[in-house]
Amino acid sequence: MRTKIYTLIFVALAFLINTKSFAQEVNLKNYRVRFGLSTTKQADNSRKLEVSYIAANKKDRKDRVPIYGADINFYNVTEDEDILLGTAKTDKEGTAQLIVPAKQAYTANAEGYINLKAVFDGTDALDSEEDELAIKDVFLELNLKEIDSVKTVILNAYTLDSLQTKIPIDETEIVFSIGGMISNMPIKREFVSDGAFKFEFPEHISGDKNGNVDVIASIIDNDNYGNVFQKKNIDWGINKQITHETNKLWSEAAPIWMYVVLSILLIGVWANYAYSIKNLFDIKKEGKELELKSQNEN
Amino acid sequence: MDVIKRKKELVQEFSPMLEKSTKTSKIWIAFLVGVILVGLVAFVIQVVKGHIVTGMRDNVVWGIYIINFIFFVCLSYSGAFISGILHFFKTPWKNSVSRIVEIITVLSLIIGPIFILLCIGRLDRLYYLFLYPRIQSPITWDIIAIMTDLLGCFIYLYLTFIPDFAMLRDNSENAPKWRQKLYKTLAIKYYDTPTQRETLHKITRTMSVMVIALAIVAYSVLAWIFSLTLQPGWNSSIFAPYFIIAGLYSGVSVIIIAMYLIRKFYHLDHYIRKVHFMGAGVILLIISLLFGYFTFSEYFSRWFSHKIEDVKLLDTLFNRYFWNFIFANYIGVLVPVVILFFKKFRTIKSVTFAAVIAILGLYMNRYLIVVPTLESPYMPIQDTRPEYIHYTATWIEWALSFAGIAAFILFFILIMKLVPIIPMSGIIDNEREQKRKPHLSNNH
Repeated sequence: MRTKIYTLIFVALAFLINTKSFAQEVNLKNYRVRFGLSTTKQADNSRKLEVSYIAANKKDRKDRVPIYGADINFYNVTEDEDILLGTAKTDKEGTAQLIVPAKQAYTANAEGYINLKAVFDGTDALDSEEDELAIKDVFLELNLKEIDSVKTVILNAYTLDSLQTKIPIDETEIVFSIGGMISNMPIKREFVSDGAFKFEFPEHISGDKNGNVDVIASIIDNDNYGNVFQKKNIDWGINKQITHETNKLWSEAAPIWMYVVLSILLIGVWANYAYSIKNLFDIKKEGKELELKSQNEN
Repeated sequence: MDVIKRKKELVQEFSPMLEKSTKTSKIWIAFLVGVILVGLVAFVIQVVKGHIVTGMRDNVVWGIYIINFIFFVCLSYSGAFISGILHFFKTPWKNSVSRIVEIITVLSLIIGPIFILLCIGRLDRLYYLFLYPRIQSPITWDIIAIMTDLLGCFIYLYLTFIPDFAMLRDNSENAPKWRQKLYKTLAIKYYDTPTQRETLHKITRTMSVMVIALAIVAYSVLAWIFSLTLQPGWNSSIFAPYFIIAGLYSGVSVIIIAMYLIRKFYHLDHYIRKVHFMGAGVILLIISLLFGYFTFSEYFSRWFSHKIEDVKLLDTLFNRYFWNFIFANYIGVLVPVVILFFKKFRTIKSVTFAAVIAILGLYMNRYLIVVPTLESPYMPIQDTRPEYIHYTATWIEWALSFAGIAAFILFFILIMKLVPIIPMSGIIDNEREQKRKPHLSNNH
């Protein structure tokens, strides 16, 4: 079912075929389209604008079909006009991403909010969609310092007004974490007041082979600021030398003890065989002598 | 006691067994040769067409060949073990069974490894095992153990044969020339002088200890081939002692069956007596209880630990292989226990019947250790054909298996044509001992 609709939507969007066919309408009728815009301010102050465009089955929650190949336009909405920031196509997950560089100047409203909008113009098969959000441009200044030999994480969070004056943010949850390969490891979660917070960096945090760690400060899914990340790399981690125990059984040569044990066993056993065979020759020798003696007597 | 005269009497007594062939024995030999020939045909087909003619596939890479291998090799080890014990402790009734045990030991150690060769897809690369051995591999240990054990058993068997060869050499004037020549060569100028006798007893005794130790090591190595893997059903710390007990169980059972058949067909009631069956029956009872205990411990710990893979394996055993499991681990243990536990049930026939049930149960037990385990791998099997997941032996495998059994019986008969199944030298030794210590009863 999912594959069938997915293919139909893909074909419809990619080739803009007029698909007012019965089958198409019947299939789409059961789906509710979800079109959502989110934003993430990244460590280099660039901003990621992301749209998730998915058709969800009204009856079956698990049946979610991503809309693939849809052109999404991203705007900075002002009182006078909508300034186009860029365009991106949805991928196979139904996600369109646009990275707006740090140097981009946004126009904010009187309250300091930047209005952002994502628009899908629609096709013959799909209706047009749009979503808007308003966020304040927040700056996270992350400093990592050793104060009296104490490794200290210092954070200043502020916005800028029209005169570029720093206005500390208040009562906003900041999550501090250590960057990891698969996911980040939270080490502190705190509501900042007056835009500043500092804490002692915990001991025993493992770093990479040089002891480096990524310290990340983040505001997550905030109504006023969206997602904001700031990151610094520092050698505060434990330089844990991971010695790779080589499995001796896979190595070229076996462990010494194995040679020793095997040699002792084999030498012991084969020496016994040799001893038995030597004794058999002694028996034969004696028999020969007996035969000679008896021949001489005869 | 006139030893020379007594030796002559004994040779005369056993000569018909060596020289004469009855019509039944000829038919029987022809039948065995026929079975071996069918096996050879199957072997040629397997070599030409490859393993596709067997039931072995991607997942179940081992089938009844490996089960036969384990069965025969364990039989051999248990034979060596029992024989070593009989000799070392100078068991009173060793004389009646020791040669049967020794022949079983050597023959099964020759037949068994042939089955492992049949498992190898690329026989042309067999020599790689010797050119590039990995000391850290249990397979290499097993090859070393089998070869060492085979040579040890040959030497041991030969040592026990020498006095009889000497007696046959000295008293076979009417035998064909080739037979006389053969006895002369094999007797290596043994004239039963006190020095020769003492030397032979000394090295036989040393070798008897050696074969006990070798059997234990080789048993353990064989068990480690399985238990050192992480395969559910095999990865067990008690596998080595479990294999030793299982091997002894099969060994004692085969000895009882061989005793029964030899006694019946060669009319050796005087030498293989009821007391021997009763003694062997009690030993079988003890081993069957031990085997039952080990089997219970093995499966109980798997069931109790409740690891996913073990649970899947137990599900397979209790569903697809339900009756096989019941036969192997309930009937194969409880029936012999019940028969052998009650004295009034212990007759020659019932003890032999218990041994037959034990053998069949044990063979099935081996099947359940190998096949269902390989059918329950760690990784789920997907998108593969049913014949790749489930194993059924083909006629090729059965033909080769029966050929192995036939070869075992045929060689046994041929060896019995060469040397008496009851060691004549043992009878002489026994009589000497009796003369020296008259209070000792004659138990052969």
